[in-house]
Amino acid sequence: MASANDLPSTCDVIVVGTGMTESILAAAASRVGKQVLHIDGNDYYGGLWASFNLDNLNKWVKDCENPENFASDPDDPNSDVKINNGEEFVFLQNQTSHISNIEVKWHIPKKLTETQVEQWSRKSQTSQEEKESSESDESKSPTEEHTLSRKHTNSESEKMPSVGFTRNGNWTQEDLMRDYRRFNIDLAPKLLFARGSLVELLISSNIARYTEFHAVTRVLTWLDGELNAVPCSRADVFATRHVSVVEKRMLMKLLTGCMDSDNLVQEFQGFESKTFLEYLKSKRLTAHLLHYVLYAIAMGTDTTPCMEGVERTQRFLNSLGRYGNTPFLWPMYGTGELPQAFCRLCAVFGGTYCLQHPAKALVVANERCVGVVSCGQRLMAEHVVMGIAQAPTQYLDGQQPSGISRGVFITNKSIMPSEKEPLTFLQFPPGPSHPNPVTVIEVGPSTHACPQGLFMVHMTCKQSKSAKEDLQEIASFLLTQEDVSPSDYDISTDNRSTQTSGQDPHHHHSEGASGSGDEAATVRTKPQVLWSMYFNCLETSKNSYSPNAPENVHLCSGPDLELDFEFSVQQAERLFKKMYPDLEFLPRAPDPEEIVIEGDTPEVVDEDGNSFEFDEEVQQPSS
Amino acid sequence: MAKTYDYLFKLLLIGDSGVGKTCVLFRFSEDAFNTSFISTIGIDFKIRTIELDGKKIKLQIWDTAGQERFRTITTAYYRGAMGIMLVYDITNEKSFENIKNWIRNIEENASADVEKMLLGNKCELSEKRQVSRERGEALAIEYGIKFMETSAKASINVEEAFYTLARDIKAKTEKKLKEASNPPKGGHQLKPAEPQRKPTNWLSRCSLL
Repeated sequence: MASANDLPSTCDVIVVGTGMTESILAAAASRVGKQVLHIDGNDYYGGLWASFNLDNLNKWVKDCENPENFASDPDDPNSDVKINNGEEFVFLQNQTSHISNIEVKWHIPKKLTETQVEQWSRKSQTSQEEKESSESDESKSPTEEHTLSRKHTNSESEKMPSVGFTRNGNWTQEDLMRDYRRFNIDLAPKLLFARGSLVELLISSNIARYTEFHAVTRVLTWLDGELNAVPCSRADVFATRHVSVVEKRMLMKLLTGCMDSDNLVQEFQGFESKTFLEYLKSKRLTAHLLHYVLYAIAMGTDTTPCMEGVERTQRFLNSLGRYGNTPFLWPMYGTGELPQAFCRLCAVFGGTYCLQHPAKALVVANERCVGVVSCGQRLMAEHVVMGIAQAPTQYLDGQQPSGISRGVFITNKSIMPSEKEPLTFLQFPPGPSHPNPVTVIEVGPSTHACPQGLFMVHMTCKQSKSAKEDLQEIASFLLTQEDVSPSDYDISTDNRSTQTSGQDPHHHHSEGASGSGDEAATVRTKPQVLWSMYFNCLETSKNSYSPNAPENVHLCSGPDLELDFEFSVQQAERLFKKMYPDLEFLPRAPDPEEIVIEGDTPEVVDEDGNSFEFDEEVQQPSS
Repeated sequence: MAKTYDYLFKLLLIGDSGVGKTCVLFRFSEDAFNTSFISTIGIDFKIRTIELDGKKIKLQIWDTAGQERFRTITTAYYRGAMGIMLVYDITNEKSFENIKNWIRNIEENASADVEKMLLGNKCELSEKRQVSRERGEALAIEYGIKFMETSAKASINVEEAFYTLARDIKAKTEKKLKEASNPPKGGHQLKPAEPQRKPTNWLSRCSLL
């Protein structure tokens, strides 16, 4: 490994922190030929946007709880970095100060009882070799997975896709920790609208080649105390029992009205200062339809202004029909991959990367920032880009940022099991106990969020109290949380084991019924929470620099409350235009086949004969 | 467009800076050697289609983009990789010692069943050798992977190394395909000209309702 002292001491742009906006900017600057140095004090990419495996997540939690051992600069900058005349050091903040109220909890016993251990060791002997080969089949189809799990209860010698299956859903902490690498737990989970600005940017810049996505399979809503599928496609509409033919007509008329740009003014005359709810009521929609449109499609509340509701409805409808059954995409391996994709492009175009390299201070002279002090080194640059989480307090506008409440739950099955592995988006409407809508995203093993047999539920809402207080009621609507006290490990485990196996046949039965199209919303047991985490994070998208901050220091917001990355993309583009008004923002990067090396003959490009069609799904053998 | 290959394998090159990863890549993909390539920017990966047992195999070989320099390779780099060439420089002891660190890095980030191979590059520089062939072999045996000494400059064994790795991945893939009735399916990449699905959205339904 090269010594950190080999870092370029001068460059065009220093980017501090590898969050989303920072990474997009780093890529954009590098892409147009600027020398970029991108550093981060953490030993991972993404900052507050990162995705972690279970082990790294535990480390992150510890660091947040003990900020003093977090990303500390080993060198005192004052000791060996020279301050020149007329310069001052402006110290940066520690980014963990943006995280609070962390609460992590296991809801399952640490280990097995002795009898279970015995069973397990017998099984693991027979399955050791098989395990190796099955480990690779990380994306087995869910249907198959169920078959395997059922077989397992009958015969011990069957293959198993993952260790947890051996105990038929009776998970222990050891099981999860053994598979810690197979988790990708997002700090800031987000979905992409199929025609949102990030999808368009990934495509137009050719950065899409570093990422893979799964389409969200369904949009659910919470209506009359239960989960309902919101019909998104023609098939859904025909299959649903919840919408009558008359209602379907009403719905079509309404949505057509929202999309008819020619008559928009006429249609919404008189509603400009009213709420979307008032408009929908004026259309005499039935209660069901009103709920679907307002809470699920427009993702609004009772107070959403009419035109904002219309815009949100348009955004939803515009993104339908591009990639799947719903308007949304979820990045494989979690949202933490996305900043990394931009970092990769930056590196490919010559950007230098250095993690575990915290920036300690800005060097300021004559109201301009001339560089950054990091690990006892002066790094000089024309522009400094940094995450707001680290920005010096005196550069902020003083406005108190609002907060985000987050909940993450590892569960033993989907909130609404279906034939194929579901990927769910659910916007929980506001209610008496929770004034703000709660965004729920449930991801399964095929997205690499968790091992086979498990699901991961993410909840996000605007903070009003602590994350736990804001979210625990909704969590209790959807999930069962049991507390395991150390004294009753054995008893509670045994109880649960009989209970679970007793319910299993029933469970499978209801899944079978769901194959007919409408998801079985009736007889259903809630998923059990195996592990949970709550935390609060500051919402800084509304914060900005105070006017007395140097104009060549550019501030990037942390994760925001919106579902998509719209904000980060727009912020990055705006900052880029401020830095380089005459240069293009992320023009398309050429495919490797298109690059002709100087001195080579052009035939090189054509040599492999199929240079024009790198387009297929990467990674899988095509048969 | 008809597919011009039977399999597509994503391969990675891993190892310390300066061991010649990019040169190995260019030797294999273009049969060229030029030290000025090193500074070439904008190279992500190279493609070469080879034929094995009558099957056309498209190898997509990814370079580290210099992110190995401060050991800051993105986890995303490892995603979906089916084979990894671990490269050290036989004239650089340190690069050999670091192979263990790289293997740890791979274990942490790559798929558990990724096929690996160890390459001792620059074997034409025998007068400067610091790492004996035997030590390379021993390390490979320790990790249960194959080993070759290569020279990108003198074009020794580079071709053979990639064919060997590709053959092992092919065997593994075909075994897997045979076993699984449903071949595993990954995610989707976004494409510039995503074929418009048959309009299935709300508005297209107007006439039907």
